[in-house]
Amino acid sequence: MARMKFLCDAERCIECNGCVTACKNENEVPWGVNRRRVVTINDGMVGAEKSISVACMHCSDAPCMAVCPVDCFYRTDEGVVLHDKDLCIGCGYCFYACPFGAPQFPQAGAFGLRGKMDKCTFCAGGPEKDLSKEEFSKYGSNRLAQGKLPACAEMCSTKALLGGDGDVIADIYRQRVLKRGKGSEVWGWGTAYGKPDQKAAPAGSKS
Amino acid sequence: MKPFAVWARSFAVALALILPSTGTSVAQQGETQQQRAQSQPGNNAPVWRDVRSGKEEYTSIKGRETGVLVQTYGETWRQLKNGWITPIAGWLIAVVVVVIGAFFKWRGSIKVHGEPTGRLIERFTPFERYTHWVVAISFVVLGISGLVMMLGKYVLLPVIGYTLFAWLAQLSKHLHNFVGPVFVVSLLMFIVMFVKDNLPRLYDIKWFANLGGMISGEHVPSGRFNAGEKAWFWIGVVVLSLLLSASGLVLLFPNFDQVRAVMIEANVVHMVAGGAVIAISLGHIYLGTIGLDGAYEAMRNGYVDETWAREHHEYWYDDVKSGKIKAGTAMGQPDAPQAQH
Repeated sequence: MARMKFLCDAERCIECNGCVTACKNENEVPWGVNRRRVVTINDGMVGAEKSISVACMHCSDAPCMAVCPVDCFYRTDEGVVLHDKDLCIGCGYCFYACPFGAPQFPQAGAFGLRGKMDKCTFCAGGPEKDLSKEEFSKYGSNRLAQGKLPACAEMCSTKALLGGDGDVIADIYRQRVLKRGKGSEVWGWGTAYGKPDQKAAPAGSKS
Repeated sequence: MKPFAVWARSFAVALALILPSTGTSVAQQGETQQQRAQSQPGNNAPVWRDVRSGKEEYTSIKGRETGVLVQTYGETWRQLKNGWITPIAGWLIAVVVVVIGAFFKWRGSIKVHGEPTGRLIERFTPFERYTHWVVAISFVVLGISGLVMMLGKYVLLPVIGYTLFAWLAQLSKHLHNFVGPVFVVSLLMFIVMFVKDNLPRLYDIKWFANLGGMISGEHVPSGRFNAGEKAWFWIGVVVLSLLLSASGLVLLFPNFDQVRAVMIEANVVHMVAGGAVIAISLGHIYLGTIGLDGAYEAMRNGYVDETWAREHHEYWYDDVKSGKIKAGTAMGQPDAPQAQH
């Protein structure tokens, strides 16, 4: 079975924020929450500017899952890290632990009132019945259940953001690297999926 | 904008003015990348170094640290929390419970040797008792709810299941967050109220030397509070509880735009101090309830029998008798509320 991954090509990303908009629209993300964001390094400097789109990377050994006090995270057979909002208590631990700043809360209120955590689902919904109304209102679209890939990557105008089977998108990126004749820079993969020589946690396992 | 955010931002601006180098380093790193793109086309190493440093870059998405692409504190915190703090705190508390249980089996409830005289001395005024119980009850609520959130995943969740445990954890979180401020305020009152009688005295050394006769059964004179109570006051009440209060307030108000690193540090302090203070508090709770006959009544009703006072706090008893310390008196049994005389 495929292991779903995201890959952002910094040589192609033009910071159009199309992925951010696509995500918000597709999933009807609550106001104040952004499941995806584009970060620009050396903004406005000719020859030095690089942009990267980042969201939940669906890590192999997910820190959010490890620190959650109610164990509300789970990993699907396709390696997508999802969570159950009915269990979430809004403690913020996943937000502390995540390297990518993916978990978001609708509020940051006094007395720790944050509301239920919200994050990128790889357009794979949540624990509710696939494509049900409850699933959509809590987690947004379930495009994987419809045989589609995440809206952000599908919408990317320069195909900088790739989302899908890790082997397939790595192959696409390898072609680009060969064509450019320069080194591979798959940002975030070491953090999210481990170094190539490390054995990744098997998909579908709950750690 | 919130006052704290305004203050934090003006502080950052002031800092940037004092340290001009921090303002230019971003541009310098950009220039390094510009030069690298000329000399070695396609080499983005300076950019990746910038990303790895975890500093804020430009993003149009507003929010806390949205400009940070990757942070490494989180993984360090996870290793500390899951690998060290949680298991050590959990086992420490379990071991303390077993040790106290064994001690109770061996020693039983420690009783006074002499006959009660029926003459009572007021040990705690009503205001002192109310403050103590507000601190104590809020402490127990915070301790239990904190343990549910820290250890429940490993201890309760496998037994009671996901739905019930999540409900319990949610309740614990709200109790923890709303009872916390009550604890902080009453704690400060408590410290002011009891600090004078907890100042260390020379004779406390003797108490420590044979642990107040807890093991030998020997009589060791002490003031209003013995050295063990003083140690609990300074270590548990002052140091650990103030650390818990300060770190707790950082975590309690995420609306002040604290960055993750600050909240992570506060959380580590909170968990370490919390585990330690819970473990020590079990000793205090034990002696204040079943461990030492008469101690609970003193804090419940405020009065102790003269025999109890002489056997447990002889210097205090002497001072009360000689009139150096003014304390109320009554006649009767200490296990019932007393009228003031």
